[in-house]
Amino acid sequence: MTDKNINTIDLVNKNLKKRYRAEKRFQAYGILSICFGLMCLVFLFTDIISKGTRGFFYHYLPIEIHLDAEVLGITDTNDVHQILGADYTTLVKKRVYEIFEAKKRKEKKNARTLIAIDATGYRIQDLLKTNAASLLGTTITIDALVDDKVDFYLKRLGEKGEPGKEYFNEAQLLLIGKLLERQEGGFNKSLNKTFFTSGDSAQSEEAGILSAFMGSLYLLLVTFCLSFPIGIATAVYLEEYAPKNKWTDLIEININNLAAVPSIIFGLLGLAIFLSFFGFPRSTPLVGGFVLTLMTLPTIIISSRAAIKAVPPSIREAAYGIGASKMQVTIHHVIPLAMPGMLTGTIIGLAQALGESAPLLMIGMAAFIPDVPTAITDPSTVLPMQIFQWFRNADAGFSEKASAAILVLILFLVMMNALAVWARSRLERRW
Amino acid sequence: MDKLNIDQHISQQYNAVLDDLKTEFLEMGGIVEQQIIDAVKAITKLDTELAEKVLSVESTVDDREMALDDLCVQIIARRQPTASDLRLVMSISKATRDLERMGDEAKKIAQMAILISENGEILDGFGELKNLGRRVQQVVSDTLTAFARYDVNTALQIAEEDKAIDEEYDIAMRVLITYMMENPRNISRAMNITWALRALERIGDHAENIAEHIIYLVKGLDVRHKTISEMEEEVRPEK
Amino acid sequence: MENNTITDINDIKETVGIPLVDNAKMSMRDVDVFYGEKQAIFGVSLDIGVNEVIAMIGPSGCGKSTFLRCLNRMNDTIEICKVTGQLHLEGQNIYDSKLDVVPLRARVGMVFQKPNPFPKSIYDNVAYGPRIHGLAARRADMDEIVETSLRKAGLWEEVKDRLHQPGTGLSGGQQQRLCIARTIAVSPEVILMDEPCSALDPIATAKIEELIDELSENFTIAIVTHSMQQAARVSHRTAYFHLGKLVEVNETEKVFTNPDHSLTEAYITGRFG
Repeated sequence: MTDKNINTIDLVNKNLKKRYRAEKRFQAYGILSICFGLMCLVFLFTDIISKGTRGFFYHYLPIEIHLDAEVLGITDTNDVHQILGADYTTLVKKRVYEIFEAKKRKEKKNARTLIAIDATGYRIQDLLKTNAASLLGTTITIDALVDDKVDFYLKRLGEKGEPGKEYFNEAQLLLIGKLLERQEGGFNKSLNKTFFTSGDSAQSEEAGILSAFMGSLYLLLVTFCLSFPIGIATAVYLEEYAPKNKWTDLIEININNLAAVPSIIFGLLGLAIFLSFFGFPRSTPLVGGFVLTLMTLPTIIISSRAAIKAVPPSIREAAYGIGASKMQVTIHHVIPLAMPGMLTGTIIGLAQALGESAPLLMIGMAAFIPDVPTAITDPSTVLPMQIFQWFRNADAGFSEKASAAILVLILFLVMMNALAVWARSRLERRW
Repeated sequence: MDKLNIDQHISQQYNAVLDDLKTEFLEMGGIVEQQIIDAVKAITKLDTELAEKVLSVESTVDDREMALDDLCVQIIARRQPTASDLRLVMSISKATRDLERMGDEAKKIAQMAILISENGEILDGFGELKNLGRRVQQVVSDTLTAFARYDVNTALQIAEEDKAIDEEYDIAMRVLITYMMENPRNISRAMNITWALRALERIGDHAENIAEHIIYLVKGLDVRHKTISEMEEEVRPEK
Repeated sequence: MENNTITDINDIKETVGIPLVDNAKMSMRDVDVFYGEKQAIFGVSLDIGVNEVIAMIGPSGCGKSTFLRCLNRMNDTIEICKVTGQLHLEGQNIYDSKLDVVPLRARVGMVFQKPNPFPKSIYDNVAYGPRIHGLAARRADMDEIVETSLRKAGLWEEVKDRLHQPGTGLSGGQQQRLCIARTIAVSPEVILMDEPCSALDPIATAKIEELIDELSENFTIAIVTHSMQQAARVSHRTAYFHLGKLVEVNETEKVFTNPDHSLTEAYITGRFG
């Protein structure tokens, strides 16, 4: 008997090493996969952040400019139409020629293409809009926006191969060089406020993210307000009240299937029902919200049902045992206990909705929308659509802006998740 | 319900412990029975050697009694017996005490045997002693058998038999009293014999007690301090 | 001579012992319970006397918990469960279709196997029942109900300084006493206990048993237990269930010294089950 025991131990020991090795290998596979995933993530993030942060900044050239009422053609400072319709382009052009000492036609052209004349003109217009009477006739210093090609070149100065140099001729490079050498009054790089405060534009230096951001915000608001209550009501009914029969089975199967339907189908549905049949306004967050509600509902319902199922039956029994009615059990115990899980599902659904573009394409939210929406019935676009459109644009300044917009989108998502985590922890602390 | 099924517990160990308890009890019963047989034989045949043997066995019986008590306490503490198991443990615990007393009475008889034999004279009254001794031996033997078989009917018969023994004892006493009145010189010897008779009668009482424990064990009925007819009525209500 | 390893339910003819009493708080007659096609309880007739502690014992799956749950219609939550027969609480049919289960459960409270306090404060746990039934008009009344209930449950001294801490932070035994306090806060007439000590250590169990004894002065208690010793310790009468039938009901002393039915005997002495 003892001999046999010793033999068994030996056999076990012999296999033990092999077993340990297998175990280590198994762990190594896992670590390897995690490393691979992390590397991809790091690569993606460094790329986006390095590109994106550039998009947040812009180069400006401070210029002194005399606001000549005659050149602008403004006679009455109280007349808004005059101020809006004034000829800022000529004013800025003239000043730019002076700065670059351009006299000949060719020189003028060289100088003109270095500065974003129109965008600078809009800045002056913005100033006059609020304060025309006191500013007209004075000389002010204004940060003129450089042309997006110049910005591109300046941002990459010192990089290998001098990217962007090919955009300019000899004379222009000379002019840029001169400005670069200046100690004062040369180019300065600062936060691109336009990017955060204005809507889309055909000119990359004037293009901003605000309209897309607000569009996304309104869209999410509509989606949340619709999908959260509907989703939870559905989940509660199906879990707590619905009799188990063929019909509820059918509904359950359909909800599960809906979660797997390609999102563009929801767009088609939205187009057919909300736009064609009900005649809601096109391109609006309202319709977008309806469509995305349809899309996120299955996710919310499924996760909410799981959360409700996870509520321990002992709690329900306890409540029933002291005579609580079904509604009281549901409202006092089941929903509060399931709320963290429901919120998680909702946040996942909303995050999905935030990143969605295909269904919105179908209801016209891909249109070019320069104006910032102020209500859910204003036409607007959303962040992913904006990113897509900017990337599609060949202009160098736009791809930078697209990367910056991606950062904004990611930040948006992180904030949403943080909100969810905060809400969860608060809800859980109550118990 | 006459079958107790002591050996059908899920716990085999429990079966074994209860079985041990019963076996030990019956073994002790065997020793006491032998003691009584020897004591009766010693006093009727005036065999002092046998009487000494009876006296020497006494300590064994005492040890057995303590061992059995200990076993009962252990079973109660560790197994918390219920129903028939509880009744088995309780009856054995009580019956052990009766057995030990029987042993004590046998010892008294043996002591009387030695005293009488020292006087070296056979007296009248030995006939009664023999007669009673035989009956008591039979009752003790029947009691142990009834316990081994959980036999209620025999237990009832034992209770009846004990009444008969009591009557026989009364008769023997009357005979001895007459004898003493006839011949006052023999009073002290006759007294020794009455002591032995008395001891035999006590053994019969203890046997009846054990019979009552058997009825309690099997039927769960407490029939102490009841007449025979009351006992029969309770044990066999339908008859 | 019976065979002690009966497993055929047809061999159990009728309940032996004393299933019916004179001053019945609840009386059940010919109760059958079905789970779908399967019958779980077969024609059980039993009375529960006023201020009596009745213990229900039996092997697993014998229907004792099912029967207990019929007494305050907790089985209603199981859709396929069907109960027939007469179940009366002080002469009122509790399975009357017109009867609302909410007041019924306020009169017949229940304590469960696992301590299941709500994930709320100790105070709110006890106050929940009175609150939903509207038993206290003012805050002071509620405070009084909470204190009395916790006192009756023997928990007041232990928790009076932390009434607003979560009930789930208490030990297992304290949690179970909290559940008992929660149940008695609505002043029920009958308390059903479904293996209330199976998750507790012996000391906590002893405290609950002591509590059951005290509560029996004011409440009628029906307790299902797996521990025969517990049944022996706390109950006045003991009912033995076997395969959905009520085999024997007797005074607890009688059941544990000399049961009438051989099945009861076999179960309590540990010969099967």
